[in-house]
Amino acid sequence: MQPDVQLSFSDRFRQLRETRFGTFAPVLLALAAIWIYFGITEPAFLSPRNFYFLFMQSAVVGTLAVGITIVLLLGDIDLSVAATSGVCAALMAVLIAMAGVPGPLACLIAIALGIFLATLQGLLVAYVGIPSFVVTLAGLLGFQGLMLKILGTQGAINMRDPFVRGITTITLPAALGWGLAAACVLAFALASFRRQTQRRALGLELEANSTLYGQVIFFAVLAFAAVATLNSYRGIPLLVVLLIGLTALLGWVTTSTPFGRSLFAVGGNAESARRVGMNVKHIRVAAFGIVGMMAAIGGIVGASRYASVSFNAFAGGPLLLEAIGAAVIGGTSLFGGRGSVWNAILGALVIGSLGNGLDLSGASAADKLMFSGAILLLAVAIDAISRSGTSQTR
Amino acid sequence: MTTSSENQKVGPGAPPHSPQLTPHLRVSGIRKRFGGVEALRGVDFDVRRGEVVALVGDNGAGKSTLMKILAGAHHADEGQFFLDEQSVSISSPHDATDLGIQIVYQDLALCENLDVAANLFLGAEPTRPGWQFLPKFLRPIDEMRMEKKALEAIDQLRVRTLQSVRAKVGGLSGGQRQAIAIARAVGAESTVVLLDEPTAALGVAQTRQVLDVVKRLRDNGHAVVYISHNLRDIFEVSDRITVLRHSANVATYDTQDTNPDAIVVAMTRGLDGDGTHAA
Ligand SMILES: Nc1ncnc2c1ncn2[C@@H]1O[C@H](COP(=O)(O)OP(=O)(O)O)[C@@H](O)[C@H]1O
Ligand SMILES: [Mg+2]
Repeated sequence: MQPDVQLSFSDRFRQLRETRFGTFAPVLLALAAIWIYFGITEPAFLSPRNFYFLFMQSAVVGTLAVGITIVLLLGDIDLSVAATSGVCAALMAVLIAMAGVPGPLACLIAIALGIFLATLQGLLVAYVGIPSFVVTLAGLLGFQGLMLKILGTQGAINMRDPFVRGITTITLPAALGWGLAAACVLAFALASFRRQTQRRALGLELEANSTLYGQVIFFAVLAFAAVATLNSYRGIPLLVVLLIGLTALLGWVTTSTPFGRSLFAVGGNAESARRVGMNVKHIRVAAFGIVGMMAAIGGIVGASRYASVSFNAFAGGPLLLEAIGAAVIGGTSLFGGRGSVWNAILGALVIGSLGNGLDLSGASAADKLMFSGAILLLAVAIDAISRSGTSQTR
Repeated sequence: MTTSSENQKVGPGAPPHSPQLTPHLRVSGIRKRFGGVEALRGVDFDVRRGEVVALVGDNGAGKSTLMKILAGAHHADEGQFFLDEQSVSISSPHDATDLGIQIVYQDLALCENLDVAANLFLGAEPTRPGWQFLPKFLRPIDEMRMEKKALEAIDQLRVRTLQSVRAKVGGLSGGQRQAIAIARAVGAESTVVLLDEPTAALGVAQTRQVLDVVKRLRDNGHAVVYISHNLRDIFEVSDRITVLRHSANVATYDTQDTNPDAIVVAMTRGLDGDGTHAA
């Protein structure tokens, strides 16, 4: 079963790209390059304290990027995602501050609102046939207006609710952090080896043992290094655990279920998907619903982190562009059919690291914008080049 | 319009492999418009189990449109569908699949961004047992079973050049893609298999394999519809030949009672003075 012929370098590269870790390679390399560069120029950059803030800063963008990835897989886009976040956060803040609704309930209502708003847009895209670009552009404008209305004249509401604040202020005890990391690594290793055993039993093609062990060791090193770093400051933020859990759930849904498969199929060839009996309209609406949910969660996280909900934190563009940029830097195609929610998290870290590093080195806002643009372009270029090597048509 | 094809339907002497005597799938009066274009104007068609019906006609005659309607990819504006003489409706691809109708589309309808195994089971992914508490579309896909069955399906077609069922379809050759589209239709549970120009991108050897597959399907009691522009292939595998011209029936022939020249004439000029064409 195992091919024992000598493989050329390009074959090996292609094989690597097709493994689970291969798709992470470009964005991981970008992240490593940024960390090394700022690690040398700004000694404070690689400190545990800075990593803590880096993760916290990237969380909102990461949450939105994960959501956007879902519609990007379909070849659609959601330009209203940041505005939706804002509306949901504003509603939550008003409910808590003015109506005295308990924090958890207000969060649930905000999430329901996010799903509702995005589903509405999804229905317009799927059933009326308006391009998602236009629908969500209208949504972007309309929801920004809605947010202003909810926030009222002062334009900002403070957020003191302990439940909401806790999302971004609680950190796990050191031991719990280690335990969680160990459990994750163990589960990952067991799943990998069990899979390999089952594949061998069925006579299916196997992953090379070096790849298998490499993946497990790489994952273990990454997990334990992260825990060690964060534990030497305040411990692992609860937010990081929540975000990883959500991403894992959506990652599983997109890669391992018929629904996820249909997202890729519709993004790859919507007509083929329709002809094999997939309900393209339902799939589209569901995908928008998921973005809405992630947008609302992003809004809650943002409100918690800034301890307030203000118009400027969500509206105006930077958050939206960073979220889309994060998804694309992660390697998700704007044309649909290719991408991963994990890559969106890595993309958000790239953008976050860049902003954080440039801040540390005292760069101006102008420099930051130009750097971000260059990185985005570079990421897309790297991806285009590496894809042409695998004879993909797009 | 039913009378014209009626008298051509049952030829003298049963073919050697004795197909069913009544049609398995029969449609009549199928009409389909695309805006101003009338792609089908009252077409009748039928196929029995254990026989291969070739569908011929010039480009634009309406062959693919008829096949897409049978497969539920298009909705007929008018027309009746019968399966074993029971009236049925085919208004979605699911309806067709449920009735046991499988199709190889002329444009293959594959997703290039997915791998071979995923394409073979597109829309019908096997899920792992023990997750019944979740709705079907959220149960984990049984990737290994899928790969195993994909390997078997590919082996049947002897696509030797295909190295892995985990290769993305976008990187495959035209012939390999066609083989995958055929394997997808042949591998599924079915009684009717529609093949719309399945050999268009294939070389001589691979065309031979497809013809073998067609014969095997027929011998297993499938009702097979085969569209091709290659009359030699058609005369080799088919039991009957239905000719379409200008979106309407010309006639249906028993293959053993006709010859390629007559078919070419029917395709290009119709049956002048015969009154059979609705055009
Ligand atoms: N989706 C469509 N939209 C508009 N016109 C179509 C469509 N599909 C087919 N047609 C038209 O219907 C006619 C029959 O096409 P088709 O069934 O593909 O012919 P064939 O397969 O016999 O070559 C052609 O005139 C074609 O242009
Ligand atoms: Mg055709």
